[in-house]
Amino acid sequence: MGHKNGSKEMYQKDNTRGIHHSNGSNISLVNTLMKSLKVSSSSSAVNNPPLHETPVRTTSNDLRSPVRPVNGSGNFDAMAKQQTSAIRSSSSYSPMRYSSPSQSNSIMNSENNNNRHTSSSYHENGSAKKSYNFSNNANGTPKLNTYFKDLDEDWSAVIDDSNMPIPTVANGGISRSNSDTFSVPGTPINHEEQYGLSKKLTNSSIQTSYSVKNTSSNQYSYPQLPQLQHTQSSELKSKLELENEREAQELNSLMQRIAKFDNIVNDKKIVNQQELRTISWNGIPKIHRPKVWKLLIGYLPANIKRQEPHCKRKRQEYKDGIDHIFSDEHNRDIPTWHQIEIDIPRTNPTIPLYQFKTVQNSLQRILYLWAIRHPASGYVQGINDIVTPFFQTFLTEYLPTTQVDKVETIDPATYMTSEQIIDLEADTFWCLTKLLEQITDNYIHGQPGIIKQVKNLSQLVKRIDIDLYNHFQDENVEFMQFAFRWMNCLLMREFKIDAVIRMWDTYLAETSLETTMIQTPMIANSYIRTPTEQPTATFQNLNSPFNASGGLSKTMSSSADENNRASYSSLNEFHVFVCAAFLIKWSDKLLDMDFQEIITFLQNPPTSEWEENDIEMLLSEAFIWQSLYKDATSHWL
Amino acid sequence: MNSNVASVKLVLLGEAAVGKSSIVVRFVSNDFSENKEPTIGAAFLTQRVNIDDHTIKFEIWDTAGQERFASLAPMYYRNAQAALIVYDVTKPQSFIKARHWVKELHEQASGDIVIALAGNKVDLIEENGENERKVATEEGQKLADEENLLFFETSAKTGYNVNEIFLAVGDKIPLKRPNDNANENGSGNNQNSSRVQLTDANANAANAGNCSC
Repeated sequence: MGHKNGSKEMYQKDNTRGIHHSNGSNISLVNTLMKSLKVSSSSSAVNNPPLHETPVRTTSNDLRSPVRPVNGSGNFDAMAKQQTSAIRSSSSYSPMRYSSPSQSNSIMNSENNNNRHTSSSYHENGSAKKSYNFSNNANGTPKLNTYFKDLDEDWSAVIDDSNMPIPTVANGGISRSNSDTFSVPGTPINHEEQYGLSKKLTNSSIQTSYSVKNTSSNQYSYPQLPQLQHTQSSELKSKLELENEREAQELNSLMQRIAKFDNIVNDKKIVNQQELRTISWNGIPKIHRPKVWKLLIGYLPANIKRQEPHCKRKRQEYKDGIDHIFSDEHNRDIPTWHQIEIDIPRTNPTIPLYQFKTVQNSLQRILYLWAIRHPASGYVQGINDIVTPFFQTFLTEYLPTTQVDKVETIDPATYMTSEQIIDLEADTFWCLTKLLEQITDNYIHGQPGIIKQVKNLSQLVKRIDIDLYNHFQDENVEFMQFAFRWMNCLLMREFKIDAVIRMWDTYLAETSLETTMIQTPMIANSYIRTPTEQPTATFQNLNSPFNASGGLSKTMSSSADENNRASYSSLNEFHVFVCAAFLIKWSDKLLDMDFQEIITFLQNPPTSEWEENDIEMLLSEAFIWQSLYKDATSHWL
Repeated sequence: MNSNVASVKLVLLGEAAVGKSSIVVRFVSNDFSENKEPTIGAAFLTQRVNIDDHTIKFEIWDTAGQERFASLAPMYYRNAQAALIVYDVTKPQSFIKARHWVKELHEQASGDIVIALAGNKVDLIEENGENERKVATEEGQKLADEENLLFFETSAKTGYNVNEIFLAVGDKIPLKRPNDNANENGSGNNQNSSRVQLTDANANAANAGNCSC
């Protein structure tokens, strides 16, 4: 979940880009809600007020039946069954549900925003809260336990409320498990807001106890308000306070997540892959990212003891491979080498990192070795893009923590030995290999994987947003004309690299277990791809309807599915849903455009400045779509 | 005067990294960047030019050059009225590829498609001397003469001959008469004009040859 504070109101349908909010929980809450939809028990749906309040999307045409999957079997039906009458009575399925997360987000944003305003700056009404705040601070330096306790409460509040089946995560990084004793009654959103306050409390605690910032706890006890306009200095001070508070909050949630990752990655003998996937779906802290990515993609073994020897062996293997391709035994594949050579300087040309000779040489070696070893596809443009998130992320392992943010501007040669560079290349190479394994069909002759994805995208849009689909038909816009690149480069060209890396946290969490689990017949589609669906108490209750319908859809679609199953990975599938969410985001704009404007717009969407939270919203929307249409897609082909 | 706007669908073809995108960007935005990201799939751009008393709106599909993407190309040249085949004068391989494209277009594209051949990156020769040149101007000219192509040597970097080649294409396109409301599907009425254009083509090609020497 976003440990970033600024959360942009990014729902573009209103064509407005909202102000920055400073409540870090917005996005995570939305994620939670959206995910809860996916595994929605009736209770969760009932308990979520925003879902009821959701205004139905204005374009009423696409609320009607055509939106539903032709064969309403499988997961969709399961979903439908689990929806409460409340949702059903709104008379429409998907579009409403689509609009609901986004709309409810805006509602929540404003609510949270108000609340934040209240808690931090309101005087009279908030006195009770504030006295709490004050007294707590007056108690002196709070202990670590207090800090964690607050967090626990905070977390279980979110999770209990929306029936999020990830309590393991909630407690994952925290050795104390006092959340058991803590029960959360009633309405989720409001509570969340209230807990926002306790979070702030914690912030001040953490600041003082760790003395991370050079501020005294008093500063947090009684915020001065701009509205009061006492003096200019107090105004300034309160701004400063707000800023500090925000920073503290950011730090707080970051540490919380780091602790959880620590617990999963380091504290046991064997890394719990499911748990890791679940938590990673919502984003991985920078300091854990290199290792977690390697685990998620299946490069590092889950058994911690085996990690180092395995890594060593793989790195040696890469070195041998490199030695071989530069030896006389190897006849260089000149066209491939040449093609890579001309593409390297053109890879991320605006980022200084990729203009350093060290980096270019590394990428050249990695891509060439990969191409030689995978003759069926060979080097295809776009793979040069796909290698970079791995490379850049793994680079940060070698940078001191304070420099991590500067990875895009520092020449690795200045801080790495040549040995280390080869190790970095090896890690990158193997992870690239693992990832491309899952999407091989995208790059072999004829690129059937991409053709299929584009087709799926069009079919999906036809069902989700028939107006847009018809408009494209009227204007002779073919999906291939704009979506090919989305598939070939995994949307990397649409976002800046930081955003892409955040996106990959989720992508890697979505995918890789599949390769090991794909053969297991027990596992229904819905099971594998949804990291949140952990076998928890909450989920067990849902289990039977889910499996029953999953089984049904399986038998119905088995013949069509089986051929594709191995090659059509969950990464590709999820990516199609992300693309659909991405496209539909611009639906209103696109409906007013002609062919030329549509193509031009989609080639240069205004997303190059998207931040992590924009990406998170997109991913969450994709998740919703996937939960609604996943099993239906096999019938469209 | 310019009330007649004719749309011309033009497709760019050629080996990877010969400068297709750079030529288009130079033509459309009069801009150039040394390292452009490789085009994936195809990019769409438009540009209007005035020729005599009418306006031509070029609707350009700039295709990806790598072989693996070649299967997409038919989608873009199928309805094209014009094609610009680009090679790199310092890369003999790219000239071979250009020959292939000429052949494929003659076989697969619409019969009256106007094809222009561009030997790009001549700036490298000006900069580094004739040794840099790997495809002689005569070779390009010969191919153009044989296949009835427009021919220019160009430099997207300096802008040399970039506008000229598009204008030449625009000149050679069998334009619809103002009273011709039919779309480009009327191949019948185009036959006449394309026959007329043959002589023009040779003249143009000859001119181009003179320019670039």
